[in-house]
Amino acid sequence: MDVEQSSDANLVVAVGRWYEPALAEVYRRHGGAVHALARRILRSDPPAEEVTQEVFLDLWRNPEKFDAQRGTLRSFLLARTHGKSVDVVRSEEARKRREERTTRETATAAYDIDREVWDMTVAEQVKDALGALPDDLRRPIELAYFGGRTYQEVAVMLDQPEGTIKSRIRSGLGRLRVTLMERGVEPAGAGL
Amino acid sequence: MTVPAPLSHAEIEELLGAYALDAVDPGTAAVVEEHLDGCVRCAAEVAQHHEVAGLMANSGGAPPTALWDGIAGRLGGTSDDSWDRLAARLDVPDDGAARGGGDVVPLDQSRRRSRRVTAGAGLVAAAAAAVALTLGVQVDHLHSQVSALQAAPQLSGAERAALAARGTERITLTDPSRPGAHATPATIVLTASGTGFVVNDRGDGLAPLASDRTYQLWGVVGSRTISLGLLGTHPGIVPFSVAGSPGVTTFAITDEVAGGVVKSANQPVAVGTVQV
Repeated sequence: MDVEQSSDANLVVAVGRWYEPALAEVYRRHGGAVHALARRILRSDPPAEEVTQEVFLDLWRNPEKFDAQRGTLRSFLLARTHGKSVDVVRSEEARKRREERTTRETATAAYDIDREVWDMTVAEQVKDALGALPDDLRRPIELAYFGGRTYQEVAVMLDQPEGTIKSRIRSGLGRLRVTLMERGVEPAGAGL
Repeated sequence: MTVPAPLSHAEIEELLGAYALDAVDPGTAAVVEEHLDGCVRCAAEVAQHHEVAGLMANSGGAPPTALWDGIAGRLGGTSDDSWDRLAARLDVPDDGAARGGGDVVPLDQSRRRSRRVTAGAGLVAAAAAAVALTLGVQVDHLHSQVSALQAAPQLSGAERAALAARGTERITLTDPSRPGAHATPATIVLTASGTGFVVNDRGDGLAPLASDRTYQLWGVVGSRTISLGLLGTHPGIVPFSVAGSPGVTTFAITDEVAGGVVKSANQPVAVGTVQV
């Protein structure tokens, strides 16, 4: 098979048949995004590299977990990347460190996360759409997604009720989706 | 980890955004996932949130090359259970696609296709019986012999792991038209879990066929003969699974028209019987 001409879905089928070049092609297409997200959340290379490797090894071992009906391969891989990265962030040691500096960090988190989001987000339209969101919708999303926080932690950081943050994350994602669709932005890595 | 109280549909809906961003605790995530299994609407919403999150994370760029080397070096760690699940998908006729040499079909198309095709019992069973009577049964437990096969460059790490599993057997197939011949057309390696490989890595094994032909693998289960898949025109090492049909007593390979047949009218080119 010509992996470079294969769709993402067909590559996953070939991965299920232990065809290593198919996994290599998946890595070529999406490895950069996976690694960048892990690096952004973990802010350190060694754990980000480990997470990246685990994401692709998981696909190798359990390709059936990807359901093309549920979305693109890239969003699947990034969701797995995010989950694994957050697991690392929330490890007990990291939690202790975070608790020690919570008060100090709360004051500076918005700046740090904003800077990282804007520095590393490539798609200008996505940046614009995020920027167009009201702060009270955007901040919870950024703190949760790029900061690896639970919505309860975000509520504490932003001094808002948990239910409010929960709703704002949901409605913010919905608004963002509508805005992106209006601008004709397709889901990332939709395959060939 | 605390176990959250049961949540209503509306309460879970409110959590979907936070869940999609991994911003809920593990207990709550488990509750949401249980709900998603039975709620198409909520599952679709989570998928949409994941797409949006993917766009936010999409920084593109070239992936680190060195990282791929690390991934490739760890592919051999695949578990046998995982291999079994995947091998179950390999029993559809794929004419060599399992080795990456053919077209790849979408996942759901593969699932919709018939798992196995039942053929008449007479042909192969009779041939196998004749072989068993005249040539005897040649079955070798692998143990020390597996190492040579494991070293074959065509084998992936997963296949090597399966070969190393306890209880793996090797069934030597013989040519029923050449009783007493020293050369064996092919070998079948069968793991205890039902995953198997047809191995044709010998120079004097199954000869290459014309492009309009294919080798087809059969298994005899009780009084039934079932197709275990197409092997292509020049099989090297081809995986198959009998996990869904335990109790295969005889394996046979026939030379058929491309695409395979439901019932073979041809004499087997190779037959071997599993040791009871």
